Amino acid sequence: MPQQIKYLFGLAVVLVFIFLIVRHYLVSPSFGQYGHYRAASLQTVVSQEIKYGGEIACTECHEDILTLKNKSYHRGVACEVCHSAAYAHTQDPYEHKPPAPRTRAYCPLCHGYNPTRPTGFPQIDPVRHNPAKPCISCHNPHDPTPPVTPKECEPCHTEIARTKILSPHAPLPCTQCHEAKEEHKLNPRVALPSKPRNREFCGQCHSQEAESPPKILQAESPPEIPRVDMKSHYSGFLCWECHYPHYPEARLKKEEETE
Amino acid sequence: MEELFERLAFSVKEVTGFIYPNEIELHWSILIVVYPYLTGLVAGAFILASLERVFNVKEVEPTYRLSLLTALAFLIVAPLPLVAHLGHPERAFEIFLTPNFRSAMAMFGFVYAWYLLVVLLVELWFEYRKDIVVWSKKEKGLKKVIYLILTLGASDLSEKSIQFDKKAGKLITIIGIPSAFLLHGYVGFIFGSVKANPWWSSVLMPVVFLFSAIVSGIALMILLYMVITLFRRKPVDMSCMDKLASFLLYAMILDFSLENLDFIHRIYESEESIKILYQLLISKLFISMVVIQILLGTIVPMVFLAWTKLARLPDELRRLIYFGSAILTLIGIFSIRWNVVIGGQLFSKSLRGLTTYKMELLGIEGLLVALLFLVLPFIILYILVALFPPWKEAEVELEA
Repeated sequence: MPQQIKYLFGLAVVLVFIFLIVRHYLVSPSFGQYGHYRAASLQTVVSQEIKYGGEIACTECHEDILTLKNKSYHRGVACEVCHSAAYAHTQDPYEHKPPAPRTRAYCPLCHGYNPTRPTGFPQIDPVRHNPAKPCISCHNPHDPTPPVTPKECEPCHTEIARTKILSPHAPLPCTQCHEAKEEHKLNPRVALPSKPRNREFCGQCHSQEAESPPKILQAESPPEIPRVDMKSHYSGFLCWECHYPHYPEARLKKEEETE
Repeated sequence: MEELFERLAFSVKEVTGFIYPNEIELHWSILIVVYPYLTGLVAGAFILASLERVFNVKEVEPTYRLSLLTALAFLIVAPLPLVAHLGHPERAFEIFLTPNFRSAMAMFGFVYAWYLLVVLLVELWFEYRKDIVVWSKKEKGLKKVIYLILTLGASDLSEKSIQFDKKAGKLITIIGIPSAFLLHGYVGFIFGSVKANPWWSSVLMPVVFLFSAIVSGIALMILLYMVITLFRRKPVDMSCMDKLASFLLYAMILDFSLENLDFIHRIYESEESIKILYQLLISKLFISMVVIQILLGTIVPMVFLAWTKLARLPDELRRLIYFGSAILTLIGIFSIRWNVVIGGQLFSKSLRGLTTYKMELLGIEGLLVALLFLVLPFIILYILVALFPPWKEAEVELEA
């Protein structure tokens, strides 16, 4: 064996040996006992102060509230989300009272309008929605469906409402195109509202034969409505394949305007 | 605390569209830009060195030893930005002591250790052993002690032993090429595998990183070789420079094609993120990506390098072009790293808004620390070159 290999190999053996000794002293004996962590750390974690009581503990005394909440839209929200960590309360209910948020600032943390929240999730604009009135005066937090359901669509479909208000369709009420039963306000995903199904629906206002101005527009000076020949205008397609109904971009071409 | 609020208040003003609160300030700073830049230079310099040893490209021989020393100097500094960014340097060794094979980040320690201990140091040892043994006899004082330790006791200088050194060096270079690919491909893998980030998540990422590493390594060696030759008042070996420039041009063409392929693929796929990525490109990254990376860092050097291939230019002008192209390329590759690391954090995961990056000047994650990590390899290289002169005339010739 060449001299270089002998010495190099010797050095490698020494390095590995040093590494193993260092590892032996620096790695806790309980490391890897249950997984890729120090098993003794479990004891450290267990010895920490407990702060959360857990929902089961709440059931023992507040079963009526839990029953109500579990049937409501807040069934997925744990008690301690609003009432904060309540282990101390479970140990001594009279000494430690968990807080109950009653101000308007609290509920919009989840229900304030935010464009990234899913469509259909109840969202309000805290400035415009019943100003200065505490949320709990209309909504019971344990069963938050309001006694009087929303008259308008905006509270739940805020993103669409805010898009539509900037579009030429702003004067149209939602019910112009969607038929929504009362049940939809209570069970939005069970009783779905209707949607237009054919070209003729849009043609009521946008075909050349449509009355001018259409009766549905109550405004005194209705805007000029773009009209097309429904027979020749992309006859194989549905209108909403090209135009987004909540923000229709169609405008008269310049040359047509000048005519 | 007040300082934190002030910084946040500044960033909030720069936010456009919607962004989640934890996305306003960037978590990976300029230090994480420096880290892939340094590892890329290591991999590139090593791959250039392998050209001479494995692929017998004799023209680049004057840069062979210098490339190895450069790779070592940069490799020593490469993990420091990570350690500085994470803090708690005493915990850095945990990744060796309790290896987690399921964590790509934790595996970096092993990729790094393999490359440093098994590839680079051993190759340098075999390359310099003959010289070290002779120097250990000739030199005096501290230098003698250092050389004596570095011989590891293997002082045999017989013909057979020298031949073995050469063979072993070649074998290690062959192992070193996939290792260099692994080292920098790994860095690309870390970014490419972040599936929640559409700017990073691409299977082409490791390949693009690798080729940009080769480009930056060759450009660095052109620059270093020219500057060192200038200081040594020696003539520049033009056949070596021409060869290096050719390799730089070919590597750039490959790298640029791969990057374009990645772009075209993203545009054709047009996933939901394409709109925000387009916004990012035309607003926050316009200067660093379109102007610096693509125009100044890639197209301009490529055109000039191609000019030297197509026209018969005087040596002086060619040297000037090579020098300028190398500097532009190095700046361009740095902006690639910037655009990947910083660009990938500038848009919201909601795909609806952009934030901005406010770089610190003095802090641990600041500009000065980043500059220190960029200068440190050159200081280490200076010491290495003083200890192990890489020039042909410094090489010891044994008497027959």
